[in-house]
Order: sequence, then structure tokens, then C-alpha cells
Amino acid sequence: MTLRWSALRARESRGTRRLRILASTLTLAGVCLASRGSAQAMVPKVVPSLPEKTYTVAVASEATDEITIISFGPGGAAIQARVPIGLSDTDPDGPHGLASSPDKQFYYVSTAHGTPFGSFWKLRTSDNAILGRVTLGNFPATAQITPEGHLAFVVNFNLHGNMVPSDVSVVGVDDMVEITRIPTCTMPHGSRLNPQGTKHYSACMMDDMLVEIDVATFVVSRHFMLTKGKELGMSGAPMTVAHGETQDMSGHGMAAPAANDPTCSPTWAQPSADGTRIYVACNRTSDIVEIDVATWQMLRRIPTGSGVYNLGITHDGTKLIATNKRGQSVSIFDLPSGKELARIPTKRKVVHGVAVSGDDRYAFISVEGIGSEPGTLEIIDLRTFITVATVDVGQMAGGIDVIR
Amino acid sequence: MSISRDGLASALAAGSATLIATAGGATTEVPVTVAGRRIASLEVSPASADARTGDVIHFTARPKDAAGKAIDGLTPIWSFSPGQGLIGADGGFVGYEQGSYTVTASFGTQSAEATVTLNARDVRRPLEVVGRSPKKGHTTEEVWIHPNGKVAYLGSGGGGDVFYTLDISDPANPIVSDSMVQNTRRVNDLMTTPDGKYLVNTREGASDRKNGIVISSLADPLHPMKIAEFTDGMTGGVHSAFVYAQPKYGTHVYATNDGTGAFHIIDITDPYKPHQVGLWQTSRPESGRTLHDVDVQDGLAYLSYWNDGLVILDVGNGIKGGSPSNPVMVMQYKYDLNDMYRQVELAGGPGFIRGTHTAWRHKNYVFIADEVFPASGVQGAKDASAGRAYGRMQVIDVSDYANPKPVAFYEPEFGGVHNIWIAGDTLYMGAYNAGFRTFDISGELRGDLRAQQREMAHLNTADMEGFVKNAAMTWGVVVRDGLAYVNDMYNGLWIVRMKPKRGITP
Repeated sequence: MTLRWSALRARESRGTRRLRILASTLTLAGVCLASRGSAQAMVPKVVPSLPEKTYTVAVASEATDEITIISFGPGGAAIQARVPIGLSDTDPDGPHGLASSPDKQFYYVSTAHGTPFGSFWKLRTSDNAILGRVTLGNFPATAQITPEGHLAFVVNFNLHGNMVPSDVSVVGVDDMVEITRIPTCTMPHGSRLNPQGTKHYSACMMDDMLVEIDVATFVVSRHFMLTKGKELGMSGAPMTVAHGETQDMSGHGMAAPAANDPTCSPTWAQPSADGTRIYVACNRTSDIVEIDVATWQMLRRIPTGSGVYNLGITHDGTKLIATNKRGQSVSIFDLPSGKELARIPTKRKVVHGVAVSGDDRYAFISVEGIGSEPGTLEIIDLRTFITVATVDVGQMAGGIDVIR
Repeated sequence: MSISRDGLASALAAGSATLIATAGGATTEVPVTVAGRRIASLEVSPASADARTGDVIHFTARPKDAAGKAIDGLTPIWSFSPGQGLIGADGGFVGYEQGSYTVTASFGTQSAEATVTLNARDVRRPLEVVGRSPKKGHTTEEVWIHPNGKVAYLGSGGGGDVFYTLDISDPANPIVSDSMVQNTRRVNDLMTTPDGKYLVNTREGASDRKNGIVISSLADPLHPMKIAEFTDGMTGGVHSAFVYAQPKYGTHVYATNDGTGAFHIIDITDPYKPHQVGLWQTSRPESGRTLHDVDVQDGLAYLSYWNDGLVILDVGNGIKGGSPSNPVMVMQYKYDLNDMYRQVELAGGPGFIRGTHTAWRHKNYVFIADEVFPASGVQGAKDASAGRAYGRMQVIDVSDYANPKPVAFYEPEFGGVHNIWIAGDTLYMGAYNAGFRTFDISGELRGDLRAQQREMAHLNTADMEGFVKNAAMTWGVVVRDGLAYVNDMYNGLWIVRMKPKRGITP
């Protein structure tokens, strides 16, 4: 039960509207350096330094229908605003995906729950005013705006419906109009555009494949089978079939897989900084598949923490950040070598999303939490691999982006 | 015959005619016979009546010819004055205000009158708050009372992952005897089996996104123990579930599916091995298919289908040959929600929430209540002033399932109409911002129930220490042994007694 206005005001009235967390109070224990195939080693405590400039991050909390705006700067991390989002005051709308416009003037949020279709919202960054909304498909989830700022690609995850092929919505964000829906596969999940904005990649959680959409034509141009030992790139759209009404989706990446299960169960597709590689998080096999875009062949599998879920990449192309949903940790990889530089435990369980600051200094991680415990925003210094701030936000924190 | 631009037909001479109405490409015809006999006398009966506001009095008009022979087949125009009320084409009159009314039946230039004297309904009764169990860590959701009358179960929401068990053997001092934390962020609904041996609760927002329902043993009603869960196909969450037993078919959970808008029927005759036996959904595009609540009585399931209105299914009654594994549609009643709540869009802008929310069968009526919220609250306001619910409760006469008729309604001046409970001739309502209310629904129902002074009691369930300060958000009520167990989303459980009617000293 989520209460858009009243409950939020209640929190304000209890004096918790602004929560300031100083970096000096942070727990630094539990940070591990790790390398592939080697034992993890604890590093000594390091006193972190606060940033010289301020970053602003937005985190969507699916269970409380709110977006938390957090600043992180010389004074530490502080909640700047809690923005209610959704149509219903008593039923959950479930904000899930969150994406900033390239010029940082706007940010966009998908609300996954509806009647039953969900929505995609446009908000102004300066004052969090809602500027528009459009109804999309069943459980709109991951979203991203094209580099020129006029289109949004939003996967209709269809988590709750029958296991049938779903689609990706393309929204004209100037007028907030859905232009088309591109059929892809069953449970299209974590998705990203390449830096050039010419291709869109989405992971098909129940079809074990990656799908590539040509942005210019809105058609599926290629797909890639991700099952371990059967990796194969193919042209055109996949042949997908309905999986029936009750296909097990393994607790949405939380259930441990059976031994030697080769199923990838992909949850995120992340292009490299130059767009020549695609990294796909295989949640079930707990590794990342690296695909060469030109040859459409797999280059390697990079082992990760348990239940790798979402991915982020530094703008300089040197580091890959992965959330380990089952492993309650975040892994940071050196991309050229594939070496895991660090595996950093998170405060709470069900690690979800990642966003990287524009200067590649920090990774911002959203953690859902379990049951009634809060979600968290965890801020990791990408120089020291230390969690430098943790901020409690609304429950089931998921979608995240740097909005200023 | 002649007919005016507004459709008023005048009979000029004896004979037959056909009235034709055309709009665009649609045409309909009505055959009309103009009788040659003239009305020489006209009587309205009863000629006088004494009643209360809200009572329905049925008048009949008997036209006769010069020979004193009754002329059949004629329908008069009914009217009344002065005051507020309603009179139907069938001569059924209901007055809203006390006083004298003149009811008139007219056939052309012929008319006859009857006199009605209405007294105040005087059903207002005092209330007593017997006990409370405040909750403010999360919002409070559904309440259910064990058949033994000594135990209450209370859900939580707004991120709540727990339901509470309360010992209410002393209603003045309800005590939490246990709580069960589950993988959920909302226990919206809970209900026991009729024999009180098991409890079913719903889940929404689970961390593993499986949701569905949980079944607990009530071997000790004060300490439920989880024994099973059912999640297949219900990962989107279950908002409402109704437990119903039929000797012929066993015990089933009738559940809503948040993700698909489908209606699931789960056999829990063996509660350790729940399995689905039936599935039903409205025939419409997936977009907009939302099922919000279900109630089962006498083998008929009453589905509150949001955009699709009220749907009644035969799930064992036999009227349509239905059963739990083969639910069969009995009837559907849809209405224009956008038009009914135009004021909400005017107040809060487009995109407001509205839908058929709950239903309750009582005699030949089905009471349906809508959930309505504006798209935005009051700008610059906060706490209790930030927003409000709207809504209307309609009374649908289902005496003839093929022709359901809306006959009466209640719409509060402020607040909504969330969940209802009917015991005897009293309707109990959780009215969101408008608090807890009760109504006299005795006799035939027609027209505006609020205007007829049928409201019996009102309690503002606000609390300065509530989840939201000093604001009522009354969810619903369960009535047991003369006590109303009222759950308020912000303020927990209230145990309320409606006291006897006060005497009025002249």
C-alpha cells in the first residue's frame, strides 16, 4: 500500500526529510580485493575523501512509489527530495526504470504496475515537476534515452503476465508519445543503447538470448544465443515461442541455479564505451559474456559474483561494474584483462542497479533490501573501491541514474 | 400523432402509428396505439400514505372510461411537489425530506393526486469506541475475525511485511499475540476458512517477486503457522482473496491476479497441497483488464472488475451450471466511470484513478463501491489537506440477472466509499478520508441514500499519533457479535459499538 501524498508528508513531519550522511561515519570494513581464480584479500581501512564537486543521483523505489533525489558532494550525501510518482494513491505503481536525458534537463521513470499496463513518466530535473506520461506495455522496466534526446527505448518486461514474447516500446519524449512497439522475446530485461545511438541491446531473460534493434528502422537486426556451450550469433529476429502460463523465473534472479545449469538467464546488456563490444550479465551462470559486435561472436566469459544482475561501464572504457544480486556485493572489473579488481559487499541484500558518474570517479549502486527494510543507495569510490556513503531510501530501490 | 423536436409525442386521434428515431446510421421504431376511449375518471392509490424519508411507496393510477370500466395498458406521467425526492415510471415514490407531498398521475389533461406525509427517518445512533490497537509503522490493511470471535488478524502495507494476530477476547483491550513476517511488502487481504482451521493471506511486492498466497494453520488461532504457499502464475501479486467452502466442491481460494487481471480459483481442500482448478478473465484486450476484489456468496462470485464493472460468475450455485473449475458468467454490469467522476478530473486533472472496487450481495441487491482518486493533490498542501478520495456506492437490483438495474446510490460530500460490510439491515463502510460510517438499508432502496437521512453513525478515525497525523483513511470493517472491527490505513484497528438509538425529548 503506497500513499503518494499523505504518507510522504508524514515522513516529512517526522523530521526525516533531509537525511545527511557524512562519509566519515561510513563503514569501510568488508571491502575485498579479488582476482580471478585467486583468494580474496581484505584491504586495510582507508579514510575516504569527499568529492570536490556535487553529484545528484535519482533512485526509484518500486515498493514505495517514490523517487529519491540524493546529492553527494563536499558535505557528504544528503537526500534532497522524495518525489512521489504514480497514478494510484493506495495501490503500488512500482517505479522501476530510471533514465536521465543526455542534457540532464529531464529524467524519465517507468512505473511497472498498472491496470495492468504500466506507464512512462517525464520529469523536469530542476524541480522534479511531472511533465508528461504515456501508457506502455506490461511491466515497463529498463529505459534509456537516445543520445540526441528525442527517443526513449523501454523494455516491456512482462514479468507478471503469461510467459509470452513481449516487446520494446519506443517513445518520442518531446511529446511523450509511444511511436512503436518492437516485438523481441520473452521477458526483455536490462537494456542499453550503444554510444552512437544506432543500436539497442536488450537481454531476453526467458529466451536466453541478446537482441539487437536497429534504431534507424526499429527492427530487430540480430540476436545472440547465450546458453553456455551453445553461444551463437544470428541475423534477424529470433523465433520465440510462448513458455506457458507458469514458467519458473527463478525468483527473478534470486533463486540459486541447479548445478551445471548452462542457462544464462541474461538480465542486462551493456555496450562498451566505444560500442565495439557487448557485455551480457548471465544471472544464472554468474558470469558475463563478452560479444564482439563486428563479428557477432563471443570473445570470452568473465566470472562474477553470484547472480550478476545489472552492469555499468566507465566512460573511459576501462572498468566494468556489476551488481551481484544473490551475492550481496558489487564487482569491479578491469575490462582489458577481465580481472576482478574488487568485490565490495553491500549493506543490504538484493543488489540491483548501477550508474557511473560522468567523471568515472564514483559508482552509484541501488540495493532493493528484503521485506520492510529500506532500500539503499551505496556510493563506491572507483579509485579506492571503497564504499564511501550509504543512504537509506525507499524500499525496493531499483532504477538509478546520475541526473546532474 | 405529432411529435416535438424534443421527442414529446401527442396523440391527436385514435389509431396506430410508428415513432421512428434516427441518429446517424442508427434507427429504432416504437409502435404506438392511441386508444379511442376517453378517460372519464382517474384514481390514484393509495390516496394517502404516512411513511419516513427513504421509504418507497408504490402508487398506482387507475383510469376508467365513462362506463366505469378500467382502461388497461396506459402509463401515466408521475410527478410530485414540493420537496426533494424521486418518483419512477412505475409509480414508486421516495421522499428525501420530512413533510407533506402531493403525488400526481397525469394522462394528458386528466390527472389525480394522492397525499404523502413523511416523517424524519431518525436512524441516527451514537457510537462507542470500545478498544483500539494503533499501528503506525506501516499502513494497516485488511482485518479479519476468526470464527471463534476471539482473534483478529490484521494486514500491513506500504512496505509492510507482516500480519498481526490479536487476542480480542476482551475487545476493550486487544493484545497482539503474534506476528508473522513474510517475504512481501504488503499483506493486503487475509481470511480464514469457514471452519477457522486455516488462514489465507495475500502477498504483493515480494523480494523474489513470486507473491501469490500463503496458507497458515490455525491449530492455535492465536499463533498462525505457515504450512504452504501458492505462487504459480501469480507473480504479479494478489490483491484480494476470498475463501469459500461448498460441500459439493470443497474449499477454494478465489483470488485476483494483479499482473494479468485474471481470476484464479485455487483448491485448498487439502491446504498443504494448494492447486489451481479454475481461471477466468473478461473478454477484452489485455490493456485495462484489472480485477480488484472478489466476494462469493451462495455459489456466486461477485467480481469487481475495475474498468469492466461488476461481473457475477456461477462457481457452484448451479444457475448457469458453473463450478469452481468451470466458472460461468451470469451477468455483467458496466457503467461510464469517466462520466460519473468528471468532477474528479476537473479538480485534479486528467489521468485520475477510478474503477469498480468492491461488491456485496444483499437480498436482491448488489452493492458496488468505486475507488476514485484525483491525478494530483492540492498544490501546496500536505498531510490531511493534501488530497482526498472520491467515490460512489451504487445499489444494483439483480432480481433479473438479464436486466440489472441501478436503483439507489450513496456518494459522500467528502471522502470515498472503500470497503463495505452488511449485517442485517445495516451497511457498514470504510470511507477513506470520510472515516467509518453506517447506514440503514432496510426496506426497498431507491434514489439518493444520503439525502434520505439513512446514515446512522459516523466516526472520524483520525489520530494525532497516526501514520499520517490527524487524518482518517478508513479502509473497511468486519462486523462480529455486535462490534464493528474497523481498520484504518493510518491508524490501525478500531473496535466500535453502535449504541441503541437515543430517545428524543419533546
